[in-house]
Amino acid sequence: MTTEAIVKKLPVLVLLAALSVGGALHAAEPALQTPMCDPCVPPALRNATPAPQTEGAALQAQVERKLRQNFDAADVQRTGAITLQQAKAAGLGVVANNFDRIDTAGTGRVTFDDVKRYLRSRGAKL
Amino acid sequence: MALCSRKGIQNLFRTSGLVAILAAATLALSSCGGGGGSAAAPAPAPPPTLPPPSNGNQPYSDPTIYSSAAAASLAATVVEAAAITRHQINLHGTIADYTATAGHLTAREPTTGAQEAAFFYIAYTLDNQAAGTRPVTFFYNGGPGSATVWLHLGSFGPKRLVTGDPSTSAPTPFALVDNAETLLDTSDLVFVDAIGAGLSQAIEPNTNQTFWGVDQDARAFRDFIVRYLTVNNRLASPKFLFGESYGTTRSAVLANVMEAAGIGLKGVVLQSSVLNYNSNCGVVNLVLSCAGYLPSYGETGAYFNLASPAPADPVAYAQQLRDFTVNTYIPADVIFLTNRVLPTTAVLSQLQGFTGIPVSLWQSNFNLTPGVFQARLRPGFLIGRYDARVIAPVGSALASEGDPSSTFISAQFSSAIASYLVNFLQYGNSSAYVLLGGAINTWDFSHDGHTLPDTIPDLAAAFAQNPNLKVLAVNGYHDLATPFFQTEVDLARLGSMPNINVRNYAGGHMTYLDDISRPLERADLQVFYQNALQ
Repeated sequence: MTTEAIVKKLPVLVLLAALSVGGALHAAEPALQTPMCDPCVPPALRNATPAPQTEGAALQAQVERKLRQNFDAADVQRTGAITLQQAKAAGLGVVANNFDRIDTAGTGRVTFDDVKRYLRSRGAKL
Repeated sequence: MALCSRKGIQNLFRTSGLVAILAAATLALSSCGGGGGSAAAPAPAPPPTLPPPSNGNQPYSDPTIYSSAAAASLAATVVEAAAITRHQINLHGTIADYTATAGHLTAREPTTGAQEAAFFYIAYTLDNQAAGTRPVTFFYNGGPGSATVWLHLGSFGPKRLVTGDPSTSAPTPFALVDNAETLLDTSDLVFVDAIGAGLSQAIEPNTNQTFWGVDQDARAFRDFIVRYLTVNNRLASPKFLFGESYGTTRSAVLANVMEAAGIGLKGVVLQSSVLNYNSNCGVVNLVLSCAGYLPSYGETGAYFNLASPAPADPVAYAQQLRDFTVNTYIPADVIFLTNRVLPTTAVLSQLQGFTGIPVSLWQSNFNLTPGVFQARLRPGFLIGRYDARVIAPVGSALASEGDPSSTFISAQFSSAIASYLVNFLQYGNSSAYVLLGGAINTWDFSHDGHTLPDTIPDLAAAFAQNPNLKVLAVNGYHDLATPFFQTEVDLARLGSMPNINVRNYAGGHMTYLDDISRPLERADLQVFYQNALQ
């Protein structure tokens, strides 16, 4: 089943993400100890504040942040544009391996927008 | 999967009687109890005696002592070495020669080249193949802190243990047989242990703890994979990841960092996923809806003939259960979690009909957690967490650790890997092969600014960098650890994604242990690889 099919069957999907409210609802349960892992977390983390379950534009924004972090890490001089050597030095192979295709103007430097444009041209939803 | 029960480890030790297991147990005792700290190093056992070199086999007696302790660190002089053995297997009517390589490779930091960790791996490679087109798949279990013994000796390697799942009456020790469902005809297979598990360990100045975190671990796996591909001239080979449980968390993060590094993947297989720790009500105490589990409760109730009316088959029933969950249970659960108001008796009766859990228990536990379901579905019995079809009387040895499905197989896998390393792979080492280290106690679960990892954005970022990436998520209908419907819901956040497919089977967390489901899963994997390689 594709996720598209799943989404069609889940009109109230968003409710799953909304179900974070107060109250000790587990208190009434019998004290069954099942300390089996995978997945599990140590006791101190079991009451962590949940991360929001993003989708759509919010999820795409997270993706863009991740890609931008990688780009910024390579942009050691904070100029907003990186060279092939800077991409290589940072281990940013996705840029280094495709540098000429990203650097359409042939300036020897590419911006984050250039990278996004390239990824979009390959089908990325950015 | 990973074993993480204090009593379980003690039992493991009692039943196995192996020196190797003692060391594993010593280390694992501190896991999951919040204990932490470094375990005392066990006295090394004498190294096992290996067969003499013959027929192209190159046994390797590895003198290094490995430790899974948090503070453990190997000297920088550690060497990359492996045992190499030649074997044959009947691959669907054709006798094929293959090579097994068991040993260590050191992951290196990509920009400085500094050694990070010695990863223990077992690679099965078909002989006389073109490296540029022959796929290679990297397998790992999860935990975190689990060795990759379950996938290695249970799933699609050239050998597998006969568990008889979900029965608990299979002969022990489990027979080790040639695996008719191995994926070796399709891909080379590399089973690799996480740092602080199996025989993998950090190299100074790092310690195992250095890599015990969501991001740190994924980067180290990336660096191991690059090392493996480089050393074996496989950088051009089509690359696949195959992770289970926490291994799916790892895969999502790893896929993103590999794509960023320009090491493109063809496909990722997610075996029993936990892609988002923030959505699994069995993992955290958050007052989180357990709706993701309801279809699994229904499938399990039906397995025990407790669903009424009795469904025709698990596949059709899964859809009925999804529909009921979405249309009826979730709206009622929202009201319950918000106002503590129960739905009508009619809805509670429907829940009883779907699951076999009586109305009275739904009244007292409307947002039913998997632990309660395990204990209450069959009065007087405990059903499994990893495979809910496995059942044992309360008070029995099988029920004593909280999951009879895990207890039945754990000691068997422990003892099997110890002898398999020596006798089949001809790799000798006096350290314990650690099935489960203590990593989970001090694991840095934080990721992207959240306390617990949500890796759907990582998967999305991998797709953004490689739109041709293919993902196959496989789940068991009777898994009460990573329920199939929750995986579908988590993946649905990605929207319309034709490159993602979900396949569900009768079975638990380790669907591949089921003799009916394993061939079905293999067939789906064959189609998946064919599509991904187009």
